[in-house]
Amino acid sequence: MPKNPTSHTPIEVGDGAAIPHKSDAGLFTAWRIAFFGAIFVSLYLAFGKPEPYFEIFKFVPDGILVTFKVTLGAILLATVIGLITGLGRISANRFVNGVASLYVEVIRGIPLLVQIFYIYYALGRFVKIPDMLSAIIAMAVCYGAYMGEVFRAGIQSIPKGQMEAALSLGMSRGQAMRQVILPQAFRVVLPPIGNEFIALLKDSSLVSILAVSDLLRRGREYASETFSYFETYTVIALIYLIMTLFFSKLIGIMEERLNAGK
Amino acid sequence: MQENSRLMIEVSGVSKFYGSFQALKDVSFSVRDGEKVVIIGPSGSGKSTILRSINRLETIDRGSIIVDGMDVSDPKVDICKVREEVGMVFQSFNLFPHKTVLENLTLAQVVVRRRNRREAEKIALELLHKVGIAEKAAAYPAKLSGGQQQRVAIARSLAMNPKAILFDEPTSALDPEMIGEVLDVMKNLAREGMTMVVVTHEMGFAREVADRVIFMDQGRIVEEGTPEHFFTSPDHERAKLFLSQIL
Repeated sequence: MPKNPTSHTPIEVGDGAAIPHKSDAGLFTAWRIAFFGAIFVSLYLAFGKPEPYFEIFKFVPDGILVTFKVTLGAILLATVIGLITGLGRISANRFVNGVASLYVEVIRGIPLLVQIFYIYYALGRFVKIPDMLSAIIAMAVCYGAYMGEVFRAGIQSIPKGQMEAALSLGMSRGQAMRQVILPQAFRVVLPPIGNEFIALLKDSSLVSILAVSDLLRRGREYASETFSYFETYTVIALIYLIMTLFFSKLIGIMEERLNAGK
Repeated sequence: MQENSRLMIEVSGVSKFYGSFQALKDVSFSVRDGEKVVIIGPSGSGKSTILRSINRLETIDRGSIIVDGMDVSDPKVDICKVREEVGMVFQSFNLFPHKTVLENLTLAQVVVRRRNRREAEKIALELLHKVGIAEKAAAYPAKLSGGQQQRVAIARSLAMNPKAILFDEPTSALDPEMIGEVLDVMKNLAREGMTMVVVTHEMGFAREVADRVIFMDQGRIVEEGTPEHFFTSPDHERAKLFLSQIL
């Protein structure tokens, strides 16, 4: 893409949660208000109005576990797909590069919800695989494309001299990549991968339309039985909020550690 | 001087283009085994480009480069074999920041030369001792000064037992007080008979160490000769002007 030298620094807006840093006082304070506020409201509702809130809190934890399984499985698989895609995107081989680029372009142009339906039912026509695995694959295929760009950027952020030094010692490109470039690139991509993890955690709620009993689906099940829609979705929203805020904090700490270790 | 020793590097008729700009124009020279050749010239003269072509970090468009009997520009030749035999030292050191000093020296020995770890570490420690930096073996490169990093980079290159080493402005990124320690290591290497091709702006080093000086300007070799001849009575106006500006 041509760069306009006079333009300002591009604004970067990730699809994950905002990562709170100590330096950003406003966001840091907002994080505290949101996180502890959400916990406070949850406790208040659960114990102050146990009917129906305590019941809801008792009903949904199974779903939290499923949400975590889907998210973790998908992020691991997406990281592998992303690494392969990222390497493909920087490959000098035009065929490999073309396939990787096509994958990224196609996936980024289709809404995640449509992809989930598509992969779920497309896979279902040929092989019988468990619903959860199907959901994980669908999420991973989608996020793999985004992660591919993360890895591509991470690899390209390593100075050219590193590859040259490795090559000049007689290493092959593959050896140089494995021994010198990727170990450094992993450090660079760790925070963005954390960010993708949070985004994935939220998007995993989409699999509730499949027969996967994640957090949101558990909520739907409860609500459709009791008709207390407002109360149920309040609880669901609170739990998602507490989870994403918790992880964004964790990633913020990890980033600071990484920067301090430089 | 080493008229009878064999040719280590033979560059003949090399040209290189960046689009319509010709970076190298019919460059030819050779380096015999054990010879020290210093390439000097103003920036943009193509001196780094020709140096980097010797181990194919740059590709060439015309001509040929033969290193230790292997044709570098022949796609059938395994370029890794050439690079195993020809070390390179960079202006910006290019140490591996995620590895300790010792690991910087052992990595290619283990991965490329297939030495076992113990043997590689023994060689690495000897070389670190030689460049006067053995006490930093366990440190990460970021903890070292520029001069120390460049000495590690030289040791890393030596660990492969190269037949020749290419130096691409090895002192240009250093603070003035650190240039001496790096040049001392290079002078020691020269005394031990290492074949060296050095691109540098250090005229004192060129005068003291070089068997031959090559002066380049605008992509071609303008003058080539002994340091005495070049520094006292160069044949070409362009060389005289360059020397008057730099000395």
